[in-house]
Amino acid sequence: MAEIAPDIFFAGISELNAKLRAKEFSCRELTEAFCDRIERIGPRYNALALSLRKQAINKAKDVDRELKRDRTRGPLQGIPYGVKDLLAVQKQPTTWGAKPYATQVFDYDAHIVEKLDKVGAILIAKLSMVELAGGGDYRTAAASLTGPGLNPWDRTRWSGGSSSGPGAAVSAGLVTFAIGSETSGSILTPSAFCGVTGLRPTYGLVSRQGAMALSWTLDKLGPMCRSAEDCALVLHEIAGGDTEDPGSAGRSFNYTPKYARKPADITVGYMPVDFEDGAEPAAQPALRTAFEVIKSLGFRLKEIQLPEFPYGALVSTIIAGEAGSIFEEFIRSGKVNELADPHQIAGLKAMLDLPSTEYLRAMRVRTLVKAAFHDLFLNCDVVLAPTRLGPAGKAAEPLDATGPPTRSRGGLIPGGNLAGLPAISLPCGFAEGLPVAISLLGRPFWENQLIAIANLFQKQTDWHRRRPPVEA
Amino acid sequence: MDISRRQLAAVVLASTAAAQAPPAPKPEPEADVDGARLQQRAAAQIIARVPLPMTIEPAFLFKA
Repeated sequence: MAEIAPDIFFAGISELNAKLRAKEFSCRELTEAFCDRIERIGPRYNALALSLRKQAINKAKDVDRELKRDRTRGPLQGIPYGVKDLLAVQKQPTTWGAKPYATQVFDYDAHIVEKLDKVGAILIAKLSMVELAGGGDYRTAAASLTGPGLNPWDRTRWSGGSSSGPGAAVSAGLVTFAIGSETSGSILTPSAFCGVTGLRPTYGLVSRQGAMALSWTLDKLGPMCRSAEDCALVLHEIAGGDTEDPGSAGRSFNYTPKYARKPADITVGYMPVDFEDGAEPAAQPALRTAFEVIKSLGFRLKEIQLPEFPYGALVSTIIAGEAGSIFEEFIRSGKVNELADPHQIAGLKAMLDLPSTEYLRAMRVRTLVKAAFHDLFLNCDVVLAPTRLGPAGKAAEPLDATGPPTRSRGGLIPGGNLAGLPAISLPCGFAEGLPVAISLLGRPFWENQLIAIANLFQKQTDWHRRRPPVEA
Repeated sequence: MDISRRQLAAVVLASTAAAQAPPAPKPEPEADVDGARLQQRAAAQIIARVPLPMTIEPAFLFKA
């Protein structure tokens, strides 16, 4: 039995796939090693919802048989991954992170799970999440069936949410990549806090069939990986039209790095305050350094202003209207009282009292938001900003409430989600020993260009290769 | 059953006292929901300040 060296757990997709094809170890050996690791270490961060060891080993054996016959399926073949526990996996519990759904089982796989299975990726685990993806406005990290998501860089800190398990699992080398979801911040935030690279695709690019719905017009699924390149490889496989998802854009994604525009042909918009005193003091040095790296890569830099809208209020109202309808029976039945976070319980109950006029007004203002971002992208190609204004907070303390957006503060995540735009979060340094990240926001379906810029940044820096002190 | 005038007065006084007593405090969970409703109202008031021409339709599309 080949020994799996510790470095393997932090290897990228291409490197791991090459080693499998070179038969340095079998897929079964690799899968068993990752299963051992996630079962042993995952609970330290409350990252593991369910180990899928048995089915993973069976799949690994299939992959080994294929590799023996030189039947290759692409770079994800044999690669161990996990999914946020809002994605259905046939005949396995899909808890949505919530006690009332702890024994829920679907008899089908989510579309994204089917796609990854077809290319030979090995699903080893369901990963923990904030209950019901935090739609009722949770205020504690403990708002989860599996307990508070803890950060591999410092277990007294929050891993971020609502894709808390995916963030921690990728960071700690428990899976090579994970699938998370984002309604407003739930891929980008844990990616930033855990020091991994997370991609929120354009709304409609990835099918959500088989995923818990929180907000029909805001939900997206996307990859959380160790690099932008890996995000591209995963997105290449999971993107595509699906008639079973009403929000599907009917478009696919083909990773085409050779067609990326040269830096000199790209204008990066930014708000100076973000890289001066707009962020928390501890994060400012890392963000300034990241800005200088972007500058040094030869992009055209342009000062911009984010369109001014009450982004936070819009997102919360739209979620209230849609989640209130999605979970109406759940709320009226009283099962909502079994959730972990009292603030979330209250928020969900209050959703039933939202007047339709308020939801519709928010959706009409959203049309203005989309138009404003369209105009913004007439003057620049991408927007650069900190993903979050500081590192992860203490897991035991109340989470920061969303304050009113001032300048860019907190505006890029809700604004980008309202407009359905893609974004990628990249680790860019540390503040008090905790990861700090920058985000790039692009036009609809501009993922190739975002990834190209991210790749250039990650060639110049090594933040994405840093590892938390997992063995300690 | 016969009751004395004293007994009748005692019943009337008791019900009057009950009507004048301050209402019992709402149970905690309901207070939380009220708080959440207030937050929703606050969000709506913020959104209401955005100028919105009549011609602007919601950002979803229905097709027959």
